[in-house]
Formats: sequence, structure tokens, C-alpha cells
Amino acid sequence: MSCHRYDLPTSRRDFLQTAGGGFGAVALAALMGGQAQASSGRLPHRAAKAKSVIFLFMEGGPSHLDTFDYKPLLNQLAGQTLPPSFGTPLTAAGEGKSPLLESKRAWKQHGQSGLWVSDWFSHVGKHADDLAVIHSCASSGINHAGGVCSMNTGSIFGGRPSLGAWASYGLGTENQNLPSFVVIKDSEATVVNGVRNWGSGFMPAVYQGVELSSDGSPIRYLENPKGVDRQRQRDRLDFLGGLNRDFNASRASNTELDARIKSFELAYQMQAEAPDAVDLSKETAATKKLYGMDNKTTATFGRNCLLARRLVENGVRFVQLYSGAGSKWDSHKEIEKNHAQLSHSVDQPIAGLLADLKSRGMLEETLVIWGGEFGRTPMSEQGDGRDHNPTGFTMWMAGGGVKAGQTYGATDDLGLHAVKDRLHVHDIHATILHLMGIDHTQLIYHHKGRPERIDQNEGHPFTRLLGSELA
Amino acid sequence: MHGRAPHLVPADCLFFSVMRRPGISLLLLLLVSAASPAVATDDLQRAAMTFFEKEVRPILVSRCYDCHSEKKQKGGLRVDHIGYLKTGGDTGPALVAGKPEKSALMEAVRFSNPDFQMPPKEKMPDAEIAILEKWIKMGAPWPEDAAKKVVITEGGFTQEQRDYWFFKPVAKVTPPDAGGNWARNEIDRFIAEKHGEMKLAPAPEADRRELVRRLTFDLHGLPPTKEQTEAFVQDNDPRAYETLVDTLLASSRYGERWAQHWLDLVRYAESDGYNVDFYRPSVWPYRDYVINSLNEDKPYDQFVREQIAGDEIAPEDPQVLIATAFLRHPMYEYNLRDVRGQWEVILTDMTDTTGELFLGLSMGCARCHNHKFDPILQKDYYALRAFLTPVHWRDDLKLVPAAVRQAYDEQQAKWEEATAGIRAQLEKLTKPGVDEAVERWRVSFPEDLQAMTHKPVAERDELEKQLAGLCDRQLEYARSTFNADSYLKSAEKKEEYKKLRESLKQYDHLKPKPLLDAFVVTDAGPNAPANPLKTRKGEQDVPPGFLTIVDASPPQITATATSTGRRKALADWITRPDNQLSTRVIVNRVWQYHFGRGIVGTASELGKLGEAPTHPELLDYLTAKFVSGGWRLKALHREILLSATYRQTARREPDEATAQIDPSNRYLWRFHPRRLDAEQVRDALLAVSGELDGKSGGPAGDGNGTRRSVYTMKKRNSPNELLRALDMPGGFASTSERQSTTTPTQALQLLNGDWLLSRASKLASRAKTIDGAWWAVLGRAPTDQERVAAEGFLQKRVEAAAQVVADAPESEPATAGFKVNTAHERVLVETSEKEGDDFTVEAIVNLASIDQGAELRTLVSRWDGGKDRPESFGWSIDVTGEKSRYKPRHLLMQIVGHDENSNIGYQVVASNIYLETGRRHHLVARVSGPRRQVTFTVRDLDTPGAAARSSVVPLDGLAKISQGASPIVLGGLSKRTPTRQWDGQIEALRIVEGYLHDGTLNVDARGWKEGVVVWRAPDPLGAAFTWSGADTKSAHENDPFRQAMNDLCLALLNTNEFFYLH
Repeated sequence: MSCHRYDLPTSRRDFLQTAGGGFGAVALAALMGGQAQASSGRLPHRAAKAKSVIFLFMEGGPSHLDTFDYKPLLNQLAGQTLPPSFGTPLTAAGEGKSPLLESKRAWKQHGQSGLWVSDWFSHVGKHADDLAVIHSCASSGINHAGGVCSMNTGSIFGGRPSLGAWASYGLGTENQNLPSFVVIKDSEATVVNGVRNWGSGFMPAVYQGVELSSDGSPIRYLENPKGVDRQRQRDRLDFLGGLNRDFNASRASNTELDARIKSFELAYQMQAEAPDAVDLSKETAATKKLYGMDNKTTATFGRNCLLARRLVENGVRFVQLYSGAGSKWDSHKEIEKNHAQLSHSVDQPIAGLLADLKSRGMLEETLVIWGGEFGRTPMSEQGDGRDHNPTGFTMWMAGGGVKAGQTYGATDDLGLHAVKDRLHVHDIHATILHLMGIDHTQLIYHHKGRPERIDQNEGHPFTRLLGSELA
Repeated sequence: MHGRAPHLVPADCLFFSVMRRPGISLLLLLLVSAASPAVATDDLQRAAMTFFEKEVRPILVSRCYDCHSEKKQKGGLRVDHIGYLKTGGDTGPALVAGKPEKSALMEAVRFSNPDFQMPPKEKMPDAEIAILEKWIKMGAPWPEDAAKKVVITEGGFTQEQRDYWFFKPVAKVTPPDAGGNWARNEIDRFIAEKHGEMKLAPAPEADRRELVRRLTFDLHGLPPTKEQTEAFVQDNDPRAYETLVDTLLASSRYGERWAQHWLDLVRYAESDGYNVDFYRPSVWPYRDYVINSLNEDKPYDQFVREQIAGDEIAPEDPQVLIATAFLRHPMYEYNLRDVRGQWEVILTDMTDTTGELFLGLSMGCARCHNHKFDPILQKDYYALRAFLTPVHWRDDLKLVPAAVRQAYDEQQAKWEEATAGIRAQLEKLTKPGVDEAVERWRVSFPEDLQAMTHKPVAERDELEKQLAGLCDRQLEYARSTFNADSYLKSAEKKEEYKKLRESLKQYDHLKPKPLLDAFVVTDAGPNAPANPLKTRKGEQDVPPGFLTIVDASPPQITATATSTGRRKALADWITRPDNQLSTRVIVNRVWQYHFGRGIVGTASELGKLGEAPTHPELLDYLTAKFVSGGWRLKALHREILLSATYRQTARREPDEATAQIDPSNRYLWRFHPRRLDAEQVRDALLAVSGELDGKSGGPAGDGNGTRRSVYTMKKRNSPNELLRALDMPGGFASTSERQSTTTPTQALQLLNGDWLLSRASKLASRAKTIDGAWWAVLGRAPTDQERVAAEGFLQKRVEAAAQVVADAPESEPATAGFKVNTAHERVLVETSEKEGDDFTVEAIVNLASIDQGAELRTLVSRWDGGKDRPESFGWSIDVTGEKSRYKPRHLLMQIVGHDENSNIGYQVVASNIYLETGRRHHLVARVSGPRRQVTFTVRDLDTPGAAARSSVVPLDGLAKISQGASPIVLGGLSKRTPTRQWDGQIEALRIVEGYLHDGTLNVDARGWKEGVVVWRAPDPLGAAFTWSGADTKSAHENDPFRQAMNDLCLALLNTNEFFYLH
């Protein structure tokens, strides 16, 4: 057997047969392959425009009723209880019978497409013609834990790989010096369920998301320890490499051993190049302003959006930005105050991101997704808040080849249930992979004898999003 | 994916097909009786076939195939062959030949039953219905199809399914006569036979160093010590190897290692796993139960019985009862209003895990439909579930013998009696508030569940006990988080409440010591809740039962007064000596953990979706011996470990032929090379650095500490970083195989991570020399070549480091106070004393400037600035910068510690007190974790008569805030952070345990007495204090040789030789 067989294995089984030792060793494909295709040599399954994804995750559940899903009937019936025809929904806080809460927003139609967007997203509204607004999203998680887990992994229970992990598994990375799946939060707070939201579940750890801190050292342990300069690090690695090469020389059949040498070398390169990729000092003041970095309210999310663009430019496959990490969009009371503040912190940065991507010609190749784990109820909670609503809510996509400037699906007249073209999280995941050129029914990982898919065999891609030419 | 493709081929080879055709015979009989005896049966058949092909098949194709043929089988039904129709789907046969009125198919197409209508969208035309009826009446003739001809046996299974190896009884096998002199025991004869067939040859026996390292890691999860290695290498006794195996098996380290395998399988974790991820403080006795059971060599059947039904077997024995924590490991969300949904999920988790773990079959598929690849019926899934539906998660039991509980109760009664009056008064004050909080929570449940919670427990039926029990947990949470302080509005009432609490405390001496909660299950009662299987045809209550294909007989179940007895029946069946599933599964697992791969490569999936066994006879041989020998795991270990197969070296490279025949070593022509598991790596790092804490059992420690990994906290949402990077499972689902990943981010952690650096540093101070380091880490002396390389490395690094030290600037006098980028940035304090969670900091300071941005000026800290690791527990006192999110120029504290839930909590405590620059201030911060508050006091000493300004700020319930790894540091954080440097004087500062009352504070620092730290700038620098400047380093780091040795040790700890058994 060849000692240097790093050509891409096309399946875990094939890989194991070439690996010789160490069962379950699957990291090599992604490590060695550059644009590695760990799951199948045929990926992507079709030519797709979207090469990368930027997922803007409004954690806690943003209200679709006050942002993108305009419901005049809600204000007409405000104060009354839900008409019986809507049933008695089981909500997280049990607000099925509470009076309906009006939307206090000023609504306006934007762009040539005339999409309704509330004043909380007036900057994003300027890009209405770039948005494909999906009004009919649905999820299975009624609480944050289940909802965030579901939106990330397709299941309300932990243990499954996240969407970014599936994308990395399917498409690999285009830059070996950066992780293929990166997560940035807007504060130190913990996202509900913690790191497993970007975990690789039952897949190898190589596919998991890497958390980038938005200031200081971007990747954990990227910086040398105190007192270790680059030469000292080089010397350590040379010494280690020497010992490892001697050891490996008589064990060539175990390719994992050589992978370890390479992993240290890649780490060293990453130390040199990753900081550069996220160095915002190279950006002009005008660009920073575009993202709202000159304004205290928008500076944090603006910086993260700009980082996302730089990462995507540098070949990162999947970037997830959290706004309101730690369920801050959750507004069981005082939704006006809560959402006003959070919307203001993201509106201009997101608009800036869309504008910047577009002006650089990157929008077509970058799929931008906006949403949360669920929406909010038309019913009030504690007088001036809204409860969780996983049965109908809004997400939007831009770029990546989606047919924009229109809405898809619909909720009922009060925005409670998705009633037209309902897209469950499974369908949303299938759609996102579809936009990336992956047939999600073919993106399979064998686990415990079962062929696992991201959608647990339940999702269908919503191909209408692609418009005519690619669907 | 291609690898398993052969198993994914659907249809023909796996499924039922037509047997002999009673339908046709019947048709022939009918026709023959009506016609002349001369009519050729051939013609009649042809007529029937024509009718079928022209009339019937088109209907089936156009109306049914979309959902019921090769691609989809809704309801488990296919209609593209008569065999499928007769076998039917999840709800039974779709067709009874000759009897349309008894055929479900007809019922469906006629739309007579509103819940069962096919095709679902639109009724088919009457003419078509009539054709189907006629066809069935004729006996449902179907053309012969040789490819699908298989035999259906009793129960509807095909002969092929019955013949699948895993469902057949364990065979009595005589070891083959193979292996000659190489064979040491029977195992080797099986292996040698296959070698012979495949033209493979075994590898030579490993040398003693390889063997002792392999065995010690395998059985103890640790490297052998130098002494162990040398003793074994030097041992001339021909039975030295046997002795080593026996010694290792007898040590309690064995249980600590092998328990990890079992804990992986039962998805052991110590937290709830959802958002809040509540810690489970009383689950650890289960971990100790597993360790102890293995160390005692408890027979495996007993081990299994206790975990499934310990409460039914020995309800009074805490050591047995705790085993049922096996059924407590599912995730749990503390506030999920969808209580029914949560219970459903928990039942599913228990059922799936039980199936995988004990029976080696992934049952999950059969929850929704008959299993497509294995003969597991949907009914079988629900029959297994039925054993578990009575389970009740108990929170009211204590893990002690009855006598201890009784003594506790008696003492508790004394306390209750003594405090009845006080508690009644307390309740009077708070009851309306508590009730309101509970009711607010209660009304969020669906109405029927609300009603259940109002029922007295004694009147609840079993299902109500389960569901209302889950609601009650939430209501109890609402009750326990009620905050009297914020509820009581008036100062009087607050005062009254406080006084009552204080008087209640007077009776604390009467209170018994709290008992450990029993994290266990029992049944909800003697009657089992319904176990409904819902299908299109309605709902049926499925009783307990075993896998039909293996054992179709109904279980013998004996209920007791409090329990259904169902789980005991399940346990008895699983542990029956003739259970061909459970017995093979455990033997295969043990083989897998020794070799890195099972005889069946997929250890939790021995059905068709798994891999075929490489040595089925060997598996049966070992299984039979294991069972007849009393289910003893240690005997099985011994048998495997003593084999020549196990003793083969891993250091053999395949020749061309071997690489062709068996590239992945499935037939064991050498020992499988393996990377160490996460826990083995971490434990080995601690062992070689000399820090490993040998303490056994008890509550878990932190992963950044020095206890064995099996004794570290397993929080599902915040796993230990190093262990997770090395593929420790997350504890969400049963895990039978570890992965072995290699990534650059893992490498970064191993090179730059604090934890590993600390181990390297400890190792360097212990090993001292190159040889010492090699012996410690690799258990051998360096080769000449390695020694030369190591010496070269040390020399190079010493020279480079000496240069750096020489370049460091000279120290300046300290008169200017603290200033960034000078030799006087910070003062590091060396003290072993801890200030605790209750302490006072008093200081005389003069701050020269604040940061123009949002950064802080740190006066004093015990903190490295981290917020997510227990080693970062600590605090700092700071002054905010110009652009701070908090008020600029204000005093605040940052605190990191354990919150009440053992999660890591971080809090900024803003004082709301302004600090003028360029003026002397007397500054006091009094921190009280228990009282949940921080009191700040600041007085301007340059303004005569200036009043002290104070504020009391609430603190979350943070604890262990002085337990982090950082030392106390004046003027900054423990980790040099130039942006957070104090600028100006710290004339004096002291840290004292406890809350210093105003009278004890002193503006004149000369009057300060002892404290954890007492610093006075004018005093000569005490031994406890070290100035740290921009370029100064700690003594160790300053020593170029020591620095180089650290690097050398770090490299050794990262070698492949250390990480791999190869």
C-alpha cells in the first residue's frame, strides 16, 4: 500500500481502507484535500452559485409580525383573543388565550418589488429587491433549547451535526489556513445549548464550527503562549516533527501518523495567516462606515458582518453570526424596547453587508440568510410582549442565486401558522444545501449502520427560490 | 455512500415474495369444477394473467405505486408484488386472496372507513374498485416471478430472514484444528484458520515493552510506570505475561478504565443537556456503581438486570437501586410546557438505547414503520417500549439504607417540631407570593395537565403520576426560585422576614446532615400506562413483547404492589443464557475494546445494516464460553489477552499481498494501531507529569484539575476542551465507537493551550534531564540519534533564550508607581491563602489617567481575564475608560465563578461611584458571595471633609471565585494585558478574608494588621511580592535551560509515539 495516499477518499469506508490504522479516522480528507470532498467525489451535485453562506442568526426569536410579515388584521383585532378558527396553540409560556398585541411599527413597501418591511429594518428595506422573503417557516422546537438546536441541526435534541458541519462535510474548505465553518457571536454570552450548536454531532470533530472571537485572538490558542516567539514555535515544531518522522518511518501504513505532522504544520501556517484574514485595519473608513462601525449601537454587529465578508473572501464555507447571543431577541415582555434596540444594532450592518457583497460582485456567490429559531405570537404576553411561535415565522435569503425581490409562502392573517408553502426546518436545510449545489438526499453520513441525512429523511428543497434558470 | 451499498440495495433479495400460490390453485379449482375436465389449466392461467396484466396491474400502478412500491413504502406497504400485499404493512395484511371483504385493500379503496381511505386524495372510479374486487375474489392471481420467489415461514418472516446469522441461536462450535504452534489458545485457532483461507500470516509477538504499554493502557487507561515496565521486561518467569494480565485485572484502575466504555454506551452525562444544562449532582454514584461492578467482576447478567430493573429486584438496596440511573440519562428540559411531548421523547430515548445497547439492533427505524432491512416489526418496537412505559423518574428517594433514612426522618421531625412556629410565620409572610409564582407557572400547562397537578398524588393513576410528576418538577422549580426579598415590599416585612430567617438558623444544629438524593427510577405503579401504536387504521395498545423473530412467546410478567414487573421480565429475557442477541453483543463489545474493532465491526448494529462478522464461529465460541462460565467479564478479558492474536505486534507493515487481501486488517494479521482515547491521553499526561490524583470515586472534579478523566464533570453543553478535541462523545446518544480526528485547531490547543503547557512545565521540573523526560513520557531511553537531536535542540533554545533575556531593559526604580511598558507594570503576589467568597479589599490609591477608549484600569485582581473555564475563576477591581459601556471613570468589579447550577457565571458589578484622577482615594470593596452583594466605599482624601460615597450592588450567587488558577496581582491581570494596566500609585492595599466592618477599616495603612495580602509601597519589597514589567519574566521562564526543557517536554508529550499504540 502506498505511503502517501492522500488522494481524496470518496467515502468513509474507502478512507478507512486506505488509512490502515485507527478506525474512525476521517479527518484526513478535509485536512489534506484542500477543496476536500469527504462525503462523495461527485459533490457538488450540480453547478450552484452559492459557494458560501453567511447565516445571520437572531437568537431568541425575532418577531416576524413586527419586521417582515405585515398583518393589518392583527392591529384591527388587537386586544381581542384569538378567534376560535385559529385553534388553541400550545405555546412556550402558555399564552394561547392572551389578547392579541398590535404591531406598533410603521410599515412601508420597498423597492421595485414593493416588499413590506417595518421601520425596524429600514436599511435592509433598501435592499428589498435583493431579498427572497420566506413567510412560511416552521420549526418543531417551542423552547429556545429545542428551537436553536433544531434550526442548527434539524433536531430538537443534541447530538446531530449542525448545518455548517454538513456543508463542510459535503464541500470541504477552500482555505486550509482557516476553518471551513466559523461562528462569531455579538457578545461573550453563551448561545443557548453552548458550543454544540456548531458541533459536528456524530461526525468527526474536523467538521465542527470554530468560534472566532470578534476581538483579540480570533481563534482559540491561535496566539503563541507568552514568551514564545515565532522562531521558538518553529524550533519546537521542527524538533517535534523530527521525532515524529523517525517514528513514522517504519509505520507508513498508518496515514494518521503523517496527518498529525501535517496538522501541526497547518496550525503553524494558520497562526501566520489567520490573523491577516481577519485584520480589519486593511479596510477603508468608508467600508467600516458602511457597516455602521462608526456608531456605538451598530459597531459590534457591523464588525462581525465585515469579518464575515472577509472570511468568505478567504474561502470560508459557512459563517454564522449570532445577534443577541443568549436569547436576547426573546421578548416575552416589552417587545418594543427589546426589539428596537436589537434591530437598530443589526439593521445597518446587515444592509452594509449586502451592499458591500454586491459592490464586490460577491453576492451571487454568497448566500445570506436572516432568521432566528422561531418567530413570535400574535398573542401578547405580560401585556406588551410576545410568546414563541414556531408554527409560522419569517426568514429571508439574499444572494447565492435566489430569485429575489419577492416573498414566498404565507402565514394566516394573524401570522400564527404557516398556511401556504410551509417550510419546516428540514425543508429550509434542504433548500440551503440545494442552493449550495448539494442534493441533500445524497449527502449521507453513515452512523450506527444508518444512512443519516441532515433532514432525517423529511425535507424537500424549495426549488422555486432559485428562480427559473437553475431549478 | 458506496461503502455500505450492498446493504442498501432494496427489494428483491431482502423482502418477502411469493411462495406457492394458493390463489392460483383456488382459481383453478373453481374453474375446473365449472368447465370441462379437458380444459388445459395452462389456458386458465393465461386468462387470469391476461386479466391481471390488462385490468389490475394498471390500476395498481396508476393509483398506488407512488406511495407503495420500490421507492416509497408508506405504512410499510408495497403493492408491486403479491407477496408484499399478503404480508402487508404496519397494520397487517393488505389482501386476503379470495376474500375481498376481509382485505384491507378493499376497505381502503371503498372509502367506507373515514380514517382509512386510499388513495388518500380522491376515491378511484367504481369500475376500478370492481376490478380489484373481482381480482381478489379470483384469488388474486399474479404472474410467476422467479426472482422474487422466496419462502415465507411462520410469523410472516422469510426463511432468509430467519437464517440471518444474528437471529440464529449461538452455535456450539468446536475450534478448528489450525494455528499449530503459533496458537496459544482456542481464539488463535479460529484466527489462524481464516489466515490460512485468506493466505495471511500472523505478525510476530510484540516485544515486552510494546506489550506492557498496550496492556496497561488497555486495562487501566494509563501508561505503565518505569518500574512496571522494567519489572516486566526483566521478568524471567515464563508466566510473566499471565502474571501481568492478572495483576492489572485485579487493580481497581481496571474498573476506572473499562467503566468509560460502558459510560459511553449508556450516554452518561452529568447535566440535563438543554439550554440551562442543569448539573445533576447526584448522578455520580451511578458512575461509581459501574466502576465497582467491573472491579468486583459482577456477572454481566446481574449487571444488566440491576440497571434495567434494580428497583424491582432489590428496592431496599441502594447499591442496586442506583443502577437504574441507566434510565435517567436522557436529556431533560426543566421548563418545557409540552410535558407530554417531553415524556414521549424520553420514552423513545430509553427504548432506542435499550435496543442498541443490549440487543445490538438500531430499533429507531421501527418506531415509524416496519424496519426496512431487518425483520423488526413496528409492533416489536412498541412491544419493547411497553416494558418502559411505566417508568417513573423519582426525585423523592434517598440513596441510603432504610435505617439511615429512618434516622434522618426522625431527626428531621425534631427540627420540624422545633421550628414549626417560625416556619408558619415565615410561610404566612411569603405564601401569597409563592402561590402566585406557582400558579403563574401552572396556568401555562394545557388544561388537562393543570387539572392533574391539582389531584392529590394518591389519587393519580400511573400516567397521571408520570405527567403530573413532570409538571410538579417545574412547579417545584417555580417555588424554589421564589425570591422573598424582592416580593416583600415594605421595610418592616423585609426586616421581619430577615429576623425570622435568623431565628430559624438557631435550630440548624438540630437539622440532620442532608442525604444524597437517589437518581433512580421505579415504576409509577402496578398498572402500566397505555402504549398506543397509532396508525392510519387506528390505535392499538401494544403489550410488552420480545422481538417476534427471536421469541414470539408472550413474556411472563408478575406485578407487585408497587410495580408492574415489566422491566424485570425484560431484564430476565435479555439475560437469558440462550438469548443469542444480548450475549453476542457484549462479547463482541469486549473484543472491540481490546482490539479497536469488533468481530462485528459495528458494535451496536449487528443487523443487516451493520457489518458482517469476520469470525462468526469465534464469536459464538466465545459467547457460549462466556455464558457457561457465569457471564464473567474478567475471564473473557483473560482469554482474549492471553491469545497469541492479542500479543501480535502492531509494528508490522503489510507486504504487497497483505495490503491487497486485507488492507484494513480485519483479519488481524497484526495488532490494530490505535490512537489513545481522549481520557487515556489526558490521564497519561497527568501520569507522566507526576500530577495524577489517584483518588477513587465520589463527586466529580473539574476537567482542568488533576483527577482521572472518568472522575471529571461531564456537562453536556460545556465539555472539557481537551477531551472534546480528542473525540470524547457528547453524552447525547449511546456511543459504541470512538472517532480519532486530527485537525489544525486541535494541534493549536496541544501546542499553545495553557493546560498542556502546565503539564509540560511540571514534567520538565520533574524529569530534569533528557533521559528523564524520555523515560517519563515514552517509557524508554532516547536512542543515540534522539539524544543528539534533543541536545541540539536544548542548546539552540538556550542560546536564543539567553539572547532575549540579555536584551531585556534594565529595571527602573519603583518610585513612579505603576506604569505600563516599564519594569513596574504589576506586582505578582505569591500566597497560598485564599480570600474565599467573602472578602474585603481596602486600598489607598491615586489613579493618574483612565483609558481613552473602553478599556479598564485594573487596580487588583485574581484573574486571567477568561470567562469560560474554572481555572479562570476570579475577580478584578477596575476603573472604566472614557468610552466604556458602563459609566466612564467609575469603579467596578468583574467576577467569575460557579453559579448555583455549577455553570460558569460571569458578572460585572458596577459601583456607580465616580473616581477622580490625580487624587488620593481611600477605596474599599467588600464582596460577599453568600450575601449576594458587593459594597463599595470611596473617599477622596485630598478634599478635606469629603464624605465617603458608598453603594451596595447585588451579586449573582457566584461561588468559588478565589478558586481559579491565577495569583493575586496588583495593577493588572495575571495574564499581562497592556490595555488593562493601572496607571499611577497604589500606596497600599490589603485583602482580608470576610466582611470588614467600618470600624475595622483604616485610612492609615500602617495600622493594617494581617491579611491574605498586605502591601505598602514604601515598605521594602516582601518575599511574597514580585514586580513584573513589560519584559520581565517569572524566574522559571527566565531560566533559558528551563524554558528549553519545557519546550522539549511539550514536544515529547505531542509525539505520535505518546499518542499512539503503534
